[in-house]
Amino acid sequence: MKKLLFILLFAPVFFTACDDDEVLGPTTTVNLNFKAVYDGKPLVSISDKYLYPDDKQVKFQAFNFYISDVVLIEGETGDEAELVDIEFVDFSDNTTPVEAETPVSFTKQRVPAGKYAGVRIGFGVPTDLNTATANQFGSGHPLRKTYNTHFWTDWESFIFMKIEGVYDKDGNGFDGNDPGFGHHPGTNEVYREVTLSRNIELKEGQPFNLNLVVDVRKLYEVNGDYLDLSNPANLYTHNPNDLTIAKYLMDNFSQAIVLE
Amino acid sequence: MKKIIFTSLALLTLFFACKDDDTVPAGPVEGDLTGIPYAPKSYTLTNPQGFPSMLIPEDNPMTEEGVDLGRRLFYDPILSVDSTLSCAGCHQLEYSFNDNKAISPGVQNLMGTRSSMSLINIGFADNGLFWDGRVKSLEEQALHPVENPVEMAEVWGNVEVKLQRHKDYPALFRKAFGIENKADITRELAAKAIAQFERTLISSNSRFDKKFYKNDPDPFLLSDLEIDGYAIYFDDLTNTAKGGHCAHCHDGGPLLTSDAYFNNAIENVSSLDDFPDNGLGTVTGKRTDNGKFRAPSLRNIELTAPYMHDGRFLTLEEVVDHYNSGGHWVENVNSQSINQLNLTEYEKQALVAFLKTFTDTTFFTNPAFQNPFK
Repeated sequence: MKKLLFILLFAPVFFTACDDDEVLGPTTTVNLNFKAVYDGKPLVSISDKYLYPDDKQVKFQAFNFYISDVVLIEGETGDEAELVDIEFVDFSDNTTPVEAETPVSFTKQRVPAGKYAGVRIGFGVPTDLNTATANQFGSGHPLRKTYNTHFWTDWESFIFMKIEGVYDKDGNGFDGNDPGFGHHPGTNEVYREVTLSRNIELKEGQPFNLNLVVDVRKLYEVNGDYLDLSNPANLYTHNPNDLTIAKYLMDNFSQAIVLE
Repeated sequence: MKKIIFTSLALLTLFFACKDDDTVPAGPVEGDLTGIPYAPKSYTLTNPQGFPSMLIPEDNPMTEEGVDLGRRLFYDPILSVDSTLSCAGCHQLEYSFNDNKAISPGVQNLMGTRSSMSLINIGFADNGLFWDGRVKSLEEQALHPVENPVEMAEVWGNVEVKLQRHKDYPALFRKAFGIENKADITRELAAKAIAQFERTLISSNSRFDKKFYKNDPDPFLLSDLEIDGYAIYFDDLTNTAKGGHCAHCHDGGPLLTSDAYFNNAIENVSSLDDFPDNGLGTVTGKRTDNGKFRAPSLRNIELTAPYMHDGRFLTLEEVVDHYNSGGHWVENVNSQSINQLNLTEYEKQALVAFLKTFTDTTFFTNPAFQNPFK
């Protein structure tokens, strides 16, 4: 009887202690490394200028977005290994070439070793987290840290991605007469998932790098069609009743992100 | 002759060397405090509706005794070199913990270079403090003004001794932090206490709060003019033709700040190397951060004139005129937020009217925030 009592008392303790170690087989560490480029060139904020599809020049002042529910997909069973719940990927402070070449990285430990067929990435904040109450998360949580900059009260939604810059409309160099643009897609309707297929083999104890590159130009251009920044109506995404541009940009993640 | 010069120099050196010793109390003051009970009571912070969680360091949990000590230190000029200036000298409750001066004077009217910042809801700040973000925590922040030569111009070593010798403070530090000896009073504990007090400075009772966070049913709480101002402030393009882009820097829900750093185009410079005050750039060393300053909370903005880090604008109307004009462009101005708005006179009035809905007058009458020495 005493033995039974002992087991009953300590079994919960044992299981609780094992929560973090629920992966029982061989595991390894996976690093997700994100870089931003524009037409293949490192994206340097503020100082560097880039050629827009209409042959005008643009500069960028902010580029960031949330990734969520990032998983590796097991090839045969379709089982998933979680890499990221939610994180904030911010390239805005990359104002030198050296910074632009340095990836924004996230590390997940104890990922089950094995063969995977690809990775699925959510772009934006999933519906269950996309609420004002996200500001109740504790210190260090990505949504608490970015709440003040990315929760847009008027929409009651996070801004899922920010691309901000200036467009040299008159072609005479950048100055105060050039329009700024601020593309801030948000609300649940523009959350997107992208699956990147690739054979990935994780071996026990051998850290694996998933190197992902986002090409900003490909967010703006699809098969020669592009968002016309010379049209003032296309400079912002503030109208929650018109998500056309927001959807266009978020849809384009599927072609803009590449697994190297 | 050389001997006379040498002797004179030596005497002068000795005089100046001794001057400090005349004014600086000698060494730590010993004194057992263990006879005083140490039983701190946890201070319960109630977060108002819609506010984020406050980030309180694990090594500085809030207690009633800590907050009480912090309030005393905050209002006590003992922290300054000549006992004339307290924290409250530049952060006055009646001005929303600001001082209504363009540039805040220090002891002996020494002038700094920037305006003091309001402390309302400062406990929720999570992205650096001061206009340039040079410190990360309130505990760290509280250490700086004491030794700033144009603020309190004191050295912490002296303050520690003054506190150790004081008739009341040793017991208060004992009650707040459980120190066993007067000599255990340190600058770090003083800063922790001040930080605890500052975390209590919460304002959540403006008409803006009532309308958007407290579900006040009064249909006339905001006037039509103010509601039009709301649409401009938040770029609510379903209700206004023009966005003012204000909330890009001053949203954060009820905090009314993004807690981020911007060049808001107030400085007419020809390049990023020409700012009279580099702000964040001084801290990060990055040229592209030059001229960037922290976007302050707009809560009680009606009462915290003059405006900007150097107090250059005297009225809210001047501030709105500045943003309406687009200001002075240089490459790190956030072009999507700051560009010519072309607001009409009515739209500008509406915006100013909406800004005034952020005023919380109940904040000033809270006895817990007032000077304990009066």
